[in-house]
Amino acid sequence: MARVLKNRFHCFAGKTTILLLLSVVFFFAPLEASAQRRFSKTYPATRNVRLTLTNRSGTVTVEGWNRPEVQVQAYMETPAAAVNPQVVDGTIFINMVKDNYGRGDIGSVNFTIRVPFDAAVDIETKVGNLNVSSVRGSLVRAKISSDGDITLTNISAPMVSAENGIGNIFFDGDIQSGGIYRFTSMSGDINLRVPFNSSFKLVATAPSTRRINLGSFSGGNMRFIGDGRRVTGQVGDGSSYLTVTNQRGSIAFIRR
Amino acid sequence: MNCTECQENISSYLDGELDEIGSANMRTHLSVCAGCAKLCEDFSVILESCRDTVPSEIIPPNSQALWCRINNLIESEIKPEVVEEPKKSLLSRGWNLTFSQAGAAVLAVAMISSLLTVVGIRNYFEPSGEDFTSRSRASQTTFEKLLSKIGLTDTPQQAREKRIKEQQAAIDYWNKRVQQRRGQWDAKIRDAFDRNLNLIDESVSEYTIILQENPDDDLTGEMLDTVLNDKMDLLREFSDL
Repeated sequence: MARVLKNRFHCFAGKTTILLLLSVVFFFAPLEASAQRRFSKTYPATRNVRLTLTNRSGTVTVEGWNRPEVQVQAYMETPAAAVNPQVVDGTIFINMVKDNYGRGDIGSVNFTIRVPFDAAVDIETKVGNLNVSSVRGSLVRAKISSDGDITLTNISAPMVSAENGIGNIFFDGDIQSGGIYRFTSMSGDINLRVPFNSSFKLVATAPSTRRINLGSFSGGNMRFIGDGRRVTGQVGDGSSYLTVTNQRGSIAFIRR
Repeated sequence: MNCTECQENISSYLDGELDEIGSANMRTHLSVCAGCAKLCEDFSVILESCRDTVPSEIIPPNSQALWCRINNLIESEIKPEVVEEPKKSLLSRGWNLTFSQAGAAVLAVAMISSLLTVVGIRNYFEPSGEDFTSRSRASQTTFEKLLSKIGLTDTPQQAREKRIKEQQAAIDYWNKRVQQRRGQWDAKIRDAFDRNLNLIDESVSEYTIILQENPDDDLTGEMLDTVLNDKMDLLREFSDL
């Protein structure tokens, strides 16, 4: 009987401890949530509006939408950074580096920005992921100075550039005639998903791994040079230029 | 009046320019001196003939040409006699060149100016990685090899070394800036920066070793140039944080 009571006591004590811990977690959780500040503003957009964003740290997501306006939402971790977008000649400038110059320890800022489909998008960050989707403007440029993945989906632009340090690059979009497409990474995988009927001149280089998978685009017009470190060639009538360089990672083409 | 005074005044006397006293003295002397009288008569005849002659008969048909001929004749007589010198060399002969010599000279000038233009343009424009840094001896054209041999352009190795030195200087500059700033970065930024810099340095080391073993490896030269540029960019972009 005494053993049963002792067991029940231990069980009760264990449950109490769990409840206490949970209450502590729930007590501090709202504090964490309230530490994040939010910025939101909508700007009327002219035709072919351009977004130029320089972030310091955090994830940036840009989505095309069917409205003639640009909506900027920023979620700032503490210590909160200053966000001060400027509109000059139809271009929306957001420069988190300049706006917070001299401030050493500031939290990451995560952006969600919605732009008209025909907007030109030029975004870069020092650290963090960049995502762009459903954009058909004149330019899509995404650059990460150090760590981070770049994901470009449903893109139809004549000029596309994606560049990062350590991280993957994924592109899913059209290759337009006369376009220039450039993908560069130090380390990570570069995966390009393009329509089968695309036409381009290709220079793909993977000097360390030599892992270049052309998929459906391999064929007679492709030539491996430099002991398999580089592939050059032409697909279709070669009306656009596609340059892919991955210093220490792989390159792969996927047919769409 | 003596004969000398009379002969000095003959012309004035015949022109009627002497006063009454002078004219009377002249007449007195001429009447007593046969020599002076004869001279006065001659002068008088000459004056008469001049007055009667038509001016067109005096002026030659092409007076300009006549004066030129006279002038040339006078000058040729005045010029000192030129002493004949021994035969000179081609250079000391001045511009007295034959047609073939002139042609060769023009060709030489054209070639030298073309070479200088090529060298000037190459030095003026910033060399791209593909043109200089990444190129090996094997991919040089004959013309480029010739320029390299005569010292007008750098060999690919020299160009690569020069380029790497320039890049290294820029890297050192930005690195100093980064060192001044990195104390203010948070841990996340610092880790990301260090990780990427280490990765780039690994690639630089690998490519440098490959190039030491095989200096003609164009692709590795190009990749070395690329990663050095990446390093420069990384440092520059983090220097403003």
